[in-house]
Amino acid sequence: MNDSAPSPVRVVVFYVGSSILAPLRRAESEIREHGLELDLAAHNGGAAWSEPEWEAALEDLAGAHLVLVMHLTDSDNSRRLLEALDRFRHRHHAVIVFNCLADLMGRTRMGKLDLGRLMATLKRSGRRAARPASGLSLAHRLGTWMSELMSRRTASRSGGGAASRGGRFNSYHKLAARLPGILKFVPGAGKLRDIKNYLILYCHFLQPTPKNIRSMLLHAVKHYVPGHATLASPDPPEVRPSTGLYHPLAPELFESFSAYRDWYRAATGRSLDPRATVGLLLMRPQIVGEARRHYDGLIGAIESEGLSVVAAISTFMDNREACRAYFLEEGNGDPTPSAGGAEGRPGPRVSQVVSLTGFSFVGGPVMNDTEASVEFLRELGVPFRSLVSLDLQTIENWEQSRVGLNPVQTAMQVAIPELDGATESRLFGGVRHKSRQPEPLAERCRLIAARLAGWNRLQTAPRHGLKLALVIFCFPPNKGNLGTAADLDVFASLLEVLTRLRAEGYDIPRLQGPEELRRQVLEGNSQAWGTVANVAYRMPVEEYRSLCPHVAEIEREWGPAPGVLNASGRELMILGARLGNAFIGVQPGFGYEGDPMRMLAAQGGAPHHGFMALYSYLQKVYRADALIHVGTHGAAEFMPGKQVGLSSGCWPDRLLGAMPHLYLYSVNNPSEGTIAKRRTSAELVSYLTPPLENAGLYKGLVSMKELLSAYRNTPSESEKRQLYASIEEQSRALNLS
Amino acid sequence: MTSEERDRRVLALYERVLEIEQRLIPTGLHTFGKPGVAAETVHLLAMVASFPRPELGLPALTDLIAAGLGLPPYARLLEESQSSGERMRERESVERLTRETVRRLPARGDRPEREAALWLQQRAGVPADTSLEVLAFLSGLNLRLQSNRELEGLVAALGGNYLPPGPGGDLLQNPAILPTGRNTHAVNPYAIPSALALRRAEPLTRALLERHRREAGRVPESIAMVLWGIDNIKKEGEAVAQVLWLLGVRPVRDGLNRVTEVEAIPLDELGRPRIDVVMTVSGIFRDLFASTMELLDRAVKRVAALEEPPERNFVRKHVQRQMARDRSTFQEAATRVFSNAAGNYGTNVNFMVLQSQWEDARELGDLFVKRKCFAYGRDARGRPMEGTEAQALLDSALSRVEASYQNIDSTEVGISDVDHYFEYLGGVTKAVEERSGKRPRVYLSDSLTPQSRVRTLEETLQLESRTKVLNPKWYEGMLKHGFSGVAEIEHQLTNTFGWSATADAVEDWIYDEVAETFVLDSRMLERLQSLNPHSAQTLVGRLLEASGRGFWSARPEVLRRLREVFAGLEDALEGVAP
Repeated sequence: MNDSAPSPVRVVVFYVGSSILAPLRRAESEIREHGLELDLAAHNGGAAWSEPEWEAALEDLAGAHLVLVMHLTDSDNSRRLLEALDRFRHRHHAVIVFNCLADLMGRTRMGKLDLGRLMATLKRSGRRAARPASGLSLAHRLGTWMSELMSRRTASRSGGGAASRGGRFNSYHKLAARLPGILKFVPGAGKLRDIKNYLILYCHFLQPTPKNIRSMLLHAVKHYVPGHATLASPDPPEVRPSTGLYHPLAPELFESFSAYRDWYRAATGRSLDPRATVGLLLMRPQIVGEARRHYDGLIGAIESEGLSVVAAISTFMDNREACRAYFLEEGNGDPTPSAGGAEGRPGPRVSQVVSLTGFSFVGGPVMNDTEASVEFLRELGVPFRSLVSLDLQTIENWEQSRVGLNPVQTAMQVAIPELDGATESRLFGGVRHKSRQPEPLAERCRLIAARLAGWNRLQTAPRHGLKLALVIFCFPPNKGNLGTAADLDVFASLLEVLTRLRAEGYDIPRLQGPEELRRQVLEGNSQAWGTVANVAYRMPVEEYRSLCPHVAEIEREWGPAPGVLNASGRELMILGARLGNAFIGVQPGFGYEGDPMRMLAAQGGAPHHGFMALYSYLQKVYRADALIHVGTHGAAEFMPGKQVGLSSGCWPDRLLGAMPHLYLYSVNNPSEGTIAKRRTSAELVSYLTPPLENAGLYKGLVSMKELLSAYRNTPSESEKRQLYASIEEQSRALNLS
Repeated sequence: MTSEERDRRVLALYERVLEIEQRLIPTGLHTFGKPGVAAETVHLLAMVASFPRPELGLPALTDLIAAGLGLPPYARLLEESQSSGERMRERESVERLTRETVRRLPARGDRPEREAALWLQQRAGVPADTSLEVLAFLSGLNLRLQSNRELEGLVAALGGNYLPPGPGGDLLQNPAILPTGRNTHAVNPYAIPSALALRRAEPLTRALLERHRREAGRVPESIAMVLWGIDNIKKEGEAVAQVLWLLGVRPVRDGLNRVTEVEAIPLDELGRPRIDVVMTVSGIFRDLFASTMELLDRAVKRVAALEEPPERNFVRKHVQRQMARDRSTFQEAATRVFSNAAGNYGTNVNFMVLQSQWEDARELGDLFVKRKCFAYGRDARGRPMEGTEAQALLDSALSRVEASYQNIDSTEVGISDVDHYFEYLGGVTKAVEERSGKRPRVYLSDSLTPQSRVRTLEETLQLESRTKVLNPKWYEGMLKHGFSGVAEIEHQLTNTFGWSATADAVEDWIYDEVAETFVLDSRMLERLQSLNPHSAQTLVGRLLEASGRGFWSARPEVLRRLREVFAGLEDALEGVAP
């Protein structure tokens, strides 16, 4: 290690997520403005690096004086980093690691502090429990909290109710809150000097305001990069509240709901009507670090729909806290069954909860306590949505990707929230290449807001005025297959559904029986039109063109509209039947079933005009308030486009638009159901599979079993011989031989 | 034939008859919002009772009874009853007692399990306190089956309320799917394969290799395996675990308990060669288990890079040979994870068959390859591949395949219930046949009973046909639903036909009996025609197609009658259908 003062000072940061880059970059330029030559390289390590990405990271790592690693948990990346940190050990003046797994934490080296050695020593001597508030023990706890959380999680999986487990999520939070206070008592000189520095840096990191991040960098440079001891000591970390309510127009965070309510009314002229207010959960680092333009964009879009917003800072490991504090009347109300029935129970202040954290509702980034989440959300009673912001890939990368979200984001931000019952896993923002700030995807935000407004209408509008579309399938397209779905008697089910909805106040006429219903849909005028079902609406090509902005693209695949599928002359045929405010629609097939050449196409594609026309009709002519697909399964969710994290260029998105979407789906098919959930924002309503009985025996099999049993039960050899002859004969007759 | 041989043959036949008799089948269709009304729930509950449920800390009732009678565990009885008449008797007495016990669990009543437990104590020496818990579980399940919350779920969701999530699956393997009317979820992809899946996959993998050894004289060097999302969700990645076992690697969990790495099992510990596995993956698995796709790709490449003798590492053997022969890179030669192009789903083989859009069966295999030849995993520079077109690589990987294989996931979704089994397993089988010059042996495994079994395609088809389309209990159950029921019967036949088209695996007698049951029986034909003439016509047309394409040598008089009926149906529909 060269002890002369390097210039510029090169710092490399490995981070995860979208919040820290903005304050880091801002700190870099401010420090440079103040005359310290500082070069900062930053690498997002949330998803496994490719070779080119790692080579770039390695180059920066090789030339760095200071290394900072934060939140890195990807195992491939961690492994590579561990090896490289060891290889370049002598080039780095200090390595500072926060919130990673134990191996990586142990690479922290600052002056005389070697966290790995310290952790090993303390573990051997069992000293850490002795003085819980000592600097040593604090450093150890910070070094091991993630690993410990994991081991406790594994241990608790076999037993313990959700309620008993709730508490442990907060220990880290509490430690973080207490840290600055405790720090005062840690001596800043002598043996503990470096430990104290580590803890000071940690305090800045926990409050990642732009100023604190700047101070963190300066503090590290001052103490660990030779030749900079004369830098002024940075201020102690500024502290922001750990919870609160945020609004882009407000000058500061609100710690109480009533303060926010008053401000909101004054600033926007709107009240916070619980029936028209969306509750958002935001990540604290984004708010504190002023990396929140994506939030602002989404909030604006929701408010443009006429809805109000209460945006609470997520209580990270356990969002029940934030919800209790801000989304429930009587702030400290406890929505558990013990709190009593409807009377006197605190009611929700919001009509939907939308998480923007990308994590599970209870458990944060490293685990999920589904049981606790569901118990709470069920009591809260309002729908739970979880939206996605691109934390581990750039907007450009997503745009260009044929897949959409990368595997890590899909698992963390989509699959895990789904376990809590989250729906609408849509993308709302992200960070562009070379940009430091997350930004909203305006078009996505508008669509999300329109969808939330649609759900809100279902909650609040008088039911008799709500228009429902129930879509059934007919595949392969043939009259005999009308209304087929896995395990389901579709018309009998439709009858049950419509009868119940009528009783619930939706405007649906009294129905006779499933056969009559089927005839209305299957027959009607179908004979006259030569269609598989009744023609409910004829859409002239001109109308189709004016309703659907994608006709040109479809024409490239299928030729000029209206084409030959679900079309007649210059019109597209919408099949189905109208029953009051319920439209029973018939989904067309993919369209290429009967066309060997089209079947061979392995990539791309589009729905045909007739398919698009049905959904254009539902969206824009009939104007359905809700779309219900009836039975497992149709074709809309399998139309070409990204796999998850869809864009406006993806066909399932174009078909469904902003219509709230329910899908009656066989409980036995969670896999295809999940495709519908992710690609068409379907909320699945599961149905049971048919009753199971044993197959039993019939015809010749009955006598076959009798013969075999007789053989097995008789002691007589001659009888056996006789029986065997019959057995042979019978088994041949039954093709059992 | 000696008397021992005869006894053995009788026992084997008896076992096959029992297999048919005890197979659970759906007897009808579900109506949304209505409780499932089975004529009797005894067989279902008895089957549920025969699975141990470690996740609930519950033993299998069958195991308790076997222990009470001083017998080995039930799974062992199932195994040994195939070769021992004595064991068969013991197995049947355990099954009888199980049925008798669950029959004593009325759906209503205050703690009905007490009475059943006491009865069981008396009859089978099972201490009541050991059986109470599992009996309470069974009677609770029985009770829950009598009610239904689906309409309530729909009304709640439509009114914009929170709809609680629930797992997906079938009743046998996961009774936690009740109540239905919830928002079904998948799984965290990093959680699979689970420890349980890994444990269950090992004997199944062994059985697969053993079965092939019995058929072919040695283990296969290369297996084409179909991976779907559905069974991997329900069984926490058991099929993924099977792939890992075949390759001879173990999954490794990282500090956050995610499966992100594999390690090779030493050859001596493995005790057999590493088997090459060509994975053709559904678009759904690809989407739901994107990280698993990377894990599987990594596993193959890890194994291919091990410096081991070729006769003990078939992956390496094939990769090295391909590199030498075609000058391909290691990366190319070790590509084994294939699916559709990104954003595309399915093989279309089913459409081609359903719509009779093919002339030569070769087209079906080619279509499969065309749709499935997109490589996933990471490229040589570690970049995600996102479906790189690689038809030549899939062609050469398939040319070495000796067996194709897939898991059946549930009782309700058998290989002739849906068109997806033949489009995938049939499609890959046809593709292999064309590329290797020989139809591979085709295997299916199911864990629908406590004893997982590996069967050949032909055996599975026979079992499916006998228990479903040819079984009055099945088709009468369907016909109760009128129009849709006829469509279901037609679908069964068409999906069976799919196995002729792709694997030539349907024996004449199956078509003979379908024709006899549904067409030659004029009263049945009339019923079908009056309920759903369209599907009736498709059914007759499909039989004619089977004969026309040479999959069925029908007797001339049968063919004549089929043609007559087809023409009659067509006339009747004239002017009705397009």
